[in-house]
Amino acid sequence: MAVTKYDAIVIGSGMTGGWAAKELTEKGLRTLVLEAGRPIVPEKDYVEHIPSWDMPFRGMRDRKKLQAEQPIQSLCYACEEPNSQFFVKDTEHPYSTDSGKPFRWIRGRQVGGRSILWGRQCYRWSDLDFTANLREGIAVDWPIRYADLAPWYDYVEDFIGISGEPLGLSQLPDSRFLPSMQMNCAEQVVKKAMAKNFGPERTLTIGRVAVLTQAHRGRAACHYCGPCHRGCITRSYFSSVNATLPAAELTGRLTVRPFSTVHSLIFDSGLRTITGVRVIDSQTRTTMEFHAPLVFLCASTIESARILLNSATSEFPTGLANSSGELGHNLMDHIKGGGARGILPGNEDKTTFGNRPNIVYMPRFRNVQQKHPGFLRGYGFQGEADREGWDRGAFQTAFGADFKRAISRPGPWQFTFAGYGECLPNHDNFVEIDKSQTDAWGIPTVRIHCAFGENEFAIRKDMSIAAAEMLSAAGAISIQPFTDTDPPGFSVHEMGTARMGRDPKTSVLNSWNQSHDIKNLFVTDGACMTSSSCVNPSLTYMALTARACNYAVEQMKRGEL
Amino acid sequence: MDRREVIKLLALGSALPALPPDAFALFVGLHQSLASTPRLKILNAHQDATVTAMAELILPQTDTPGAKTARVNEFIDLIVADWYSEDERSFFLSGLANLDARSQSLFSKNFVDTSATQQSDILRALGDEMAEESTALRTAPRGDRGTDPEPDGNFYFIFRSLALTGYFTSEIGFRQQLHEETIPGHFDGCVPLATLAPGKYS
Repeated sequence: MAVTKYDAIVIGSGMTGGWAAKELTEKGLRTLVLEAGRPIVPEKDYVEHIPSWDMPFRGMRDRKKLQAEQPIQSLCYACEEPNSQFFVKDTEHPYSTDSGKPFRWIRGRQVGGRSILWGRQCYRWSDLDFTANLREGIAVDWPIRYADLAPWYDYVEDFIGISGEPLGLSQLPDSRFLPSMQMNCAEQVVKKAMAKNFGPERTLTIGRVAVLTQAHRGRAACHYCGPCHRGCITRSYFSSVNATLPAAELTGRLTVRPFSTVHSLIFDSGLRTITGVRVIDSQTRTTMEFHAPLVFLCASTIESARILLNSATSEFPTGLANSSGELGHNLMDHIKGGGARGILPGNEDKTTFGNRPNIVYMPRFRNVQQKHPGFLRGYGFQGEADREGWDRGAFQTAFGADFKRAISRPGPWQFTFAGYGECLPNHDNFVEIDKSQTDAWGIPTVRIHCAFGENEFAIRKDMSIAAAEMLSAAGAISIQPFTDTDPPGFSVHEMGTARMGRDPKTSVLNSWNQSHDIKNLFVTDGACMTSSSCVNPSLTYMALTARACNYAVEQMKRGEL
Repeated sequence: MDRREVIKLLALGSALPALPPDAFALFVGLHQSLASTPRLKILNAHQDATVTAMAELILPQTDTPGAKTARVNEFIDLIVADWYSEDERSFFLSGLANLDARSQSLFSKNFVDTSATQQSDILRALGDEMAEESTALRTAPRGDRGTDPEPDGNFYFIFRSLALTGYFTSEIGFRQQLHEETIPGHFDGCVPLATLAPGKYS
């Protein structure tokens, strides 16, 4: 008979589930990881080296199939022809939104979750972020500060392997870095121009990225093939499949159960604890239960909220662990879509070799030293310079041998700044159970109510103005500012649906990612976030997860759970 | 009766008179496409010859193979058959028919039957019209979008996009023309063009 009792259950095998699995097993707990999707075997499933000519549509994707099965997932840049199987089928995973308020919910259900697909940018938060809610009287105060998390950033970074350049900025603390990747010729031009025209306040630096620039903890250095989000056979970028799950496996205490869709948690109202998890086998549709005295919910921001909402009991009628009424609320996603691009004359006799899986980054400069009159918080710029390719030839009128030769040479250098801005927590942005609709496994789905507000729109507008100003200072020509209308969800940085806080009346989790209401329940994915900062969030989720695991096991040993 | 059934009948050696009339029509169509290349999904032999000729005119054989050797026609056929919507498909196919109409009115011949000079004249005229449309789009108000709008209602623009994509995403285009590598092994952010591949940018 299959084992159904463990020391701990981790729900989800992605970015944070992988960390929970590693930490809990290394601390001696026999741990079951429940993953709704299929197993991933890198040797078989990774597709990063499939050349364009071996793709039936040469990279243009199977448009009709995507339109029929993945109309939302295919809006994500990372959903490409050879790897769309790493994204869910929208037909199996419906959700609803309010009319005129779209939310793009991008999901990956397989062992590794979206950690296979992520953008790999890693930035520490600072106290500018952790104290923002308190200073401005918005939402609730974070129950932790940078000093609480700093040692855990050190800890996870040492394992992940992050390449980057130390800057000593207060608003963006340095990580423990592997050697940084190079900027290309045109990026170096922009970097110098920024230093000259804007001083240290606007620094262009190489992206801080979870891609190895040298061998690290048994994983090989990057070979610069380019499309990390299709997998990496040399495990050179960090994902749970490439790093944390293998480490957990080494302990001999890990059980990963794929095809295990979690329906809800089992709450014992007498003991006031979670005693187990109700699971539907994704293939056979059989219902089963697994039991453990400790549960880590790492299913992703909206899925984790959905599981708790679907676990309502008579004691918690609006959702398990929801005595505060904040469960499902305060959904945030970084606002993007503001920026500018332009042509950078010069360096026409130089180009790049290899495909750098990284961008350049300009840390937040608004509301750092002086207050901006138009909005609270700020944004960072991701950027990149490259030379125009052969596709520029479609516009041209020339044809024949000379055209063929000319179009095969790289075109002018172009530079793009694209902003990622902080989103304020707002109680009115929330998810709830949509009782009228179930997914392919009969589990009630969510209705997402979410829209950006005035502050986010003001940030996006400023992104395009500042980007154009900086490109101009760098000597760019043909500058084209843009303000796209990307709806929330598009940054795939959704967070906030079970926020941390000091007061059980206004928050779902305490300072250790532990439910205020139920001591053996921990939520460590993006749901826990009290505000959103403007930097990519995964590194912070990972540090919070490792910290919470350490606390949970200590408490467990003391008999406090 | 579909093509597969016709093929089955042919394989069984059935006598022609035994075939129903609709199968006979398919039979003719089948042989027309078999005559050019068996891989085509929608283009008939004449359309295929037109696509092949035009793509080769844009990206000809030089010291490296051209569009024809890279089988750009097969890529375009796949896109038109399996990727395009019905509207896009009929727009593309009428674009090909219009090309012949233009060629007929100028030279009293279909595009593929005209001389190389005459074909170049037609392409130049198509290019001029595309440039006019492009200019009109660029000068029109475009809101906050940062990119120039594409003249995607122009057949020649669409054709050029397809031909370029088909060529440069082929193994021939990628390896022999662009000298690209799928696994570069390292990254250099600023390398002189001249050192990349001998003769590549001479």
